[in-house]
This record gives sequence, structure tokens and C-alpha cells, in this order.
Amino acid sequence: MAVVRLDKIVKRYGMGGPVVVEDVDLTIEDGEFMVLLGPSGCGKSTTLRMIAGLETISGGTLSIDGRVVNDVPAKDRDIAMVFQSYALYPHMSVAENLAFGLRRRAIPNAEIDRRVKAVAEILGLVPLLARRPAALSGGQRQRVALGRAMVREPQVFLFDEPLSNLDAALRVNTRSEIIKQHNRLGSTMIYVTHDQVEAMTMGTRICVMNAGKVAQIGAPLEVYWQPANTFVARFLGAPPMNLMATTLDGARARSMAVDAPLSRWSEAALVPYAGRRITLGVRAEDLSLERPAGAGIGKLRGRTVAVEPLGAETLVLVALDGETEITARLPRQVMVALDQELELFFRPEAAYLFDAESGLAIAPREDAAAVIGAAVQRRAH
Amino acid sequence: MSQSAVLDAGLRPGTEPQDPARRPLPRFFGKGVLAVVLGLYTIYTLGPFLWLATMSVRTTAEISAAPYAWPTVFRWEQYRTAWESGFAVYFWNSAIVVVGAVVVVTLIGAAAAHALARYRFRGNRLIYSILFSSIIFPPQITLISLYQILVDYNLYNSLFGLALVYISLQLPLTVYLLEGFFARIPQDLFDAAKMDGYGDLEIFWRIVLPVGMPAIATTLILNFIQLWNEFLFAVVLITDPDKRTLPIGIRAFMGDHFQDIGMIATGVMVSVIPVIIAYVFFSEKLIRGMTAGAIK
Repeated sequence: MAVVRLDKIVKRYGMGGPVVVEDVDLTIEDGEFMVLLGPSGCGKSTTLRMIAGLETISGGTLSIDGRVVNDVPAKDRDIAMVFQSYALYPHMSVAENLAFGLRRRAIPNAEIDRRVKAVAEILGLVPLLARRPAALSGGQRQRVALGRAMVREPQVFLFDEPLSNLDAALRVNTRSEIIKQHNRLGSTMIYVTHDQVEAMTMGTRICVMNAGKVAQIGAPLEVYWQPANTFVARFLGAPPMNLMATTLDGARARSMAVDAPLSRWSEAALVPYAGRRITLGVRAEDLSLERPAGAGIGKLRGRTVAVEPLGAETLVLVALDGETEITARLPRQVMVALDQELELFFRPEAAYLFDAESGLAIAPREDAAAVIGAAVQRRAH
Repeated sequence: MSQSAVLDAGLRPGTEPQDPARRPLPRFFGKGVLAVVLGLYTIYTLGPFLWLATMSVRTTAEISAAPYAWPTVFRWEQYRTAWESGFAVYFWNSAIVVVGAVVVVTLIGAAAAHALARYRFRGNRLIYSILFSSIIFPPQITLISLYQILVDYNLYNSLFGLALVYISLQLPLTVYLLEGFFARIPQDLFDAAKMDGYGDLEIFWRIVLPVGMPAIATTLILNFIQLWNEFLFAVVLITDPDKRTLPIGIRAFMGDHFQDIGMIATGVMVSVIPVIIAYVFFSEKLIRGMTAGAIK
């Protein structure tokens, strides 16, 4: 078990080459399950490979339990990694795959056998020990890959999109298996994925990355309900958060189709944006066709362009004006026709504001933030 | 037909009922044609070999009287005569030179191919291109210069010198074939082995060689067959009768006025048997190696 600290970590390919990871500051606490989340090419796998020692570090400091390991070879970092492709040795049996990493470490044969057997029993691999990887299913291979990491009893586990080659049902099972093993071992785990469902369900905290930089770090629901910028707001959530270009008019965000009172924000917070364009955000699930009771209700007006009944709910795509289309997640009983004029409502606490230029969130009043925080806690429980 | 209509009819798209006129040939007819073609090809390739095998147990006089006749008496003693009249020496010379060369070519070729396929370093593609270009030119153009080099280094008329020449001849093709195979081994395997604590040499020995075995077996057998039958370089670079390899030894039975056909046939059979054994032993891996790129 260990604390992994990344301090201004940079990765650059070649002298003057492109910077793929830039000034990443991140501390993964002992026993934490940290998820690095982001789209393809955002630098999350490169960051993981730098932690593993498979990529050199161009700048900054990487330390594990206080020891700087920038120049320590992968084999001496006491880290195990589970790869997306499983990376099982095809010419070895499952038992040999599990034992391969231990044989290099001068561990007595009896101890190797004990550990292999113990891990095989935990993961249900005992009947498969004599088989080669080619004779295993995708899920079995993934369990062997997990076992190969577990048998080493390392300080830190790294996972590089380990579920992306599995089908949907198997992905759910293996996800549970990894969570179960994390709870059992209590080890520090760093997990890379582009799948927000994996991130939300598995992570103690999520580090959202974009274009080689950290966009936000926080607990899953905190990141979901309090996005730091428009990238995080759009990346987390399916469908993504609706973002609308509006103008600040007093304490309201307005456009042709939008009228939103901004009671969450203090006057002082809004003054710098007076008369300027700001981005209003509302999640699809916070929109309704019926006007809620109370004051300060926001309103959107538009015309339906698509209706997607999903069974449990219905997604309605609404065109607000020439450019903006938003999605509303409505109850399944709602009957909406195509090209129908609609008015959608949302509560004041469902509104988000972002600087139209930088994309950064405009912080609401502390008491409003506390309301959101309490809502996050309630949802978490 | 629309897709929905096809589905309504209980069929998957692309499996519409076929026009009887366009139906493929009945299966038994197709198989029959295949059997005939394979049979003819087998006769074409096996015929000369069987003829040679029958000649190897007949005397030259019997062959001259009836070249295509089946042996009335199987003269197995011809093999002992051939073996005792010098073929034993030729056989062991060939074995030492060829096995030695093939082992060295395989080890150096695999290591070079691994380095070219896996490591990014300055000049990687240049080295690869130079090796590749040497495959394009016919090996005969190097004959005179190799002869001179061997003379200069006192390696002319020596089995060691011939083995070195064989290594230099086969190395480029070996590297070329193995590099293509090794480049397809996923990088994750190397990374996993690194995480498991293994260094570069151990990864080569424990991962690359076993995983690349189908391709290595392919180059091994191709090199073995090619060098076992090699004549031109051996006849130019070896003069001592005690250092002859099998192809030159067989030629010794060809006189200006008389050719001992029976003994030549026996000698050829002696030289062919190791190739057949090697092929039978490695054929499965050879086929896997040759088709390795065909299947994901």
C-alpha cells in the first residue's frame, strides 16, 4: 500500500516535440481507487505508463511513498499493471502466467505455489490453471490478468482500460470483481478509462483529463454535480449537460429561447459578467414539462426534433433556436410529438453558469453550494 | 428486396433465395475436381522422387537397360557402398556446415530482427533497407569477392569459411522474415514482462523466441533446405575431396565419359532423407509461420 504523488508531471516526445501530458498534479492516497477519466488522446494512459515506468518522465516529480521514482526501472517500483489486451504470455499455461513475475524475484517455489493457488481460488481460476490463454474466454483471460497482478502483492495496482475488450454483461461482472478485490486488498489502485459509468461506479475519486491537463479532481458525484468547466460538464453524464449561450441580464440568463433566474449566484459573482455572454448549463434529467412549484423557475422554449423512447424514460431532443439543441430526459409516460412547441422548466438549483470564453464554472453562493453538496450527499446514500 | 421484407421472410440480409441457374456446383462434383487436381499434382511432384528411389536400388547397367522399370531385385547394399565410398564424409561435412550455419543464422537473425522490430534507434530503417536490398541482388554476384576474402583470411577450402559464407548469404532473408513476424507481437507483452521484472535479454529469450517459434521454424527449415542443397559456393570455395559437401560429392560420380547413374541416385537419396525428416518434423510449424499474418 502506498501514496502516489505526481508533482507537475510533463511528458514530451522528443526535443521540442508535442507535449502530451502537461503539469499534472495529483496525489493518490493510500488505499484509494483513483480513476483517470478522459477521451482518447487526453494523456491518461501516458500518465499511467509514466507511473508504471514504461514511459520516461520529461518533467516534474513522481514519488511513491515519499521515494522519488522518476528514474527507477519499472521492475523496481513494486507496481503491477493490468493491460487492455490482457497481455497474457501465449506460450505459458495460466499457472505459469501467474507465477512468471514471482520467479524473477527469487521467491521460493513453495511460496510461489501457495500464492498462485490462493489467487486462483479467489478468482475461480483453479480449473483453468493448466490451460493456455488461447483456450480461455475473454472474461477468463481478464481474470488471469487480474490474478497475475494480485499474485505479486504489489504496493500499487494500475489498470489500463481493462474492460474495454469485454462485452457489456461481462464488463459489469468484471467491474464488480475489481471493486470486490479493491475492498478486500485495500490497495492503492489507479484505473484508466474513457467510460464514465466505470469511473462513476468504481472510483473513490475521479481525475478528469483533457488535452494532457487535469480538468478536475473529485469524488464521482462531486465531479458530476459540481463540474469545474464545460468540458467536465459535457463529458460526465449521458446525455451530456445541455449548454446554452445566453446573455446576463441583471440576475437572469436570457436568450431568445431561455429565461433563467440566477438565484444561486451572488450579485458580486455576476457583476463581472453584466451584459456579457455567459453559458448556461442544465442537465437533461433536471428538465420537466410541468412547471415546478416555487419561485425562480427557469424556462426554455423550443420545438422537438427527435423523440427517443428508451423504455424506462424518453429522451426528447429540442431545438431552441437555429444553433442550439438540447436533450430532456422525461418520464416514459410523456407523449411528445415531433415538431411540437415545448416549454421546459427547471429549478434554480439545477442551473450551472460558465464563463463563455474560458469555459470555467462561475461559482455559486456558498449557501447554494452547500445545498448542492447536501444533495450530492443524499444521492450518494 | 428491401431489408425489412427480407427479415419478414425469415431470412437474414444477403441470404436471398438463389436463382437455380446460379447455384454453385454440387458439393460432390467440386470435391471430385479437387481430388483429381490434387492427384495429378501429387503424381507430378512425387513421380520423379519415386523414380529416383527405384533407381537408387538398381545398378547402372539395369537402369540403362530399362530406365523406367520397377526393380526386380532391391539392391539395398548400394546404400552401404555409397556410404563407404565417401558419402559418409560428405554427409558429415554437410551436416557440420549446414547445421552450424543454420543455428548461427537463426540466433543472430532472431536477435537482429527483434532489435529492428522493437527498438526505435537512429538508423533502424537504414539498416533494414540495406539488409533488404541485399536480398534483391542474386547471390552469385558476391561469389568472386567472397572467394578473395576467404583467400585473404586463410579460410578458403575450409568448412568454417564455407559456413561463414552460408551465414552471410542467409542472414538478410532470415532477418527480413523474422522482423515482419516479431513486429506483430503486441507491445503489451513486452511491457507486461518488464513489469514482471525481466530485462531486455530475458524478454528476448523467454518471450520473443517462444512466441516467435512458428516464424523461427519457418526460417530454420527454409535455410536448412537451401543450404543443404547449395552447390555453387561449395564447388568454388572447397577443393579438398575430404571437405566436399553432399552436392559436390554427388557430382564426383559424374565422369566425362561414364556416369554411375545408380550410385548418383543412391547419393541423392542419402542427401534428400535429412531434408524430408526436417520437413516432416517442422512442417506444422512451417505452415503456421507462413499463414501467421493471414489470421488476426
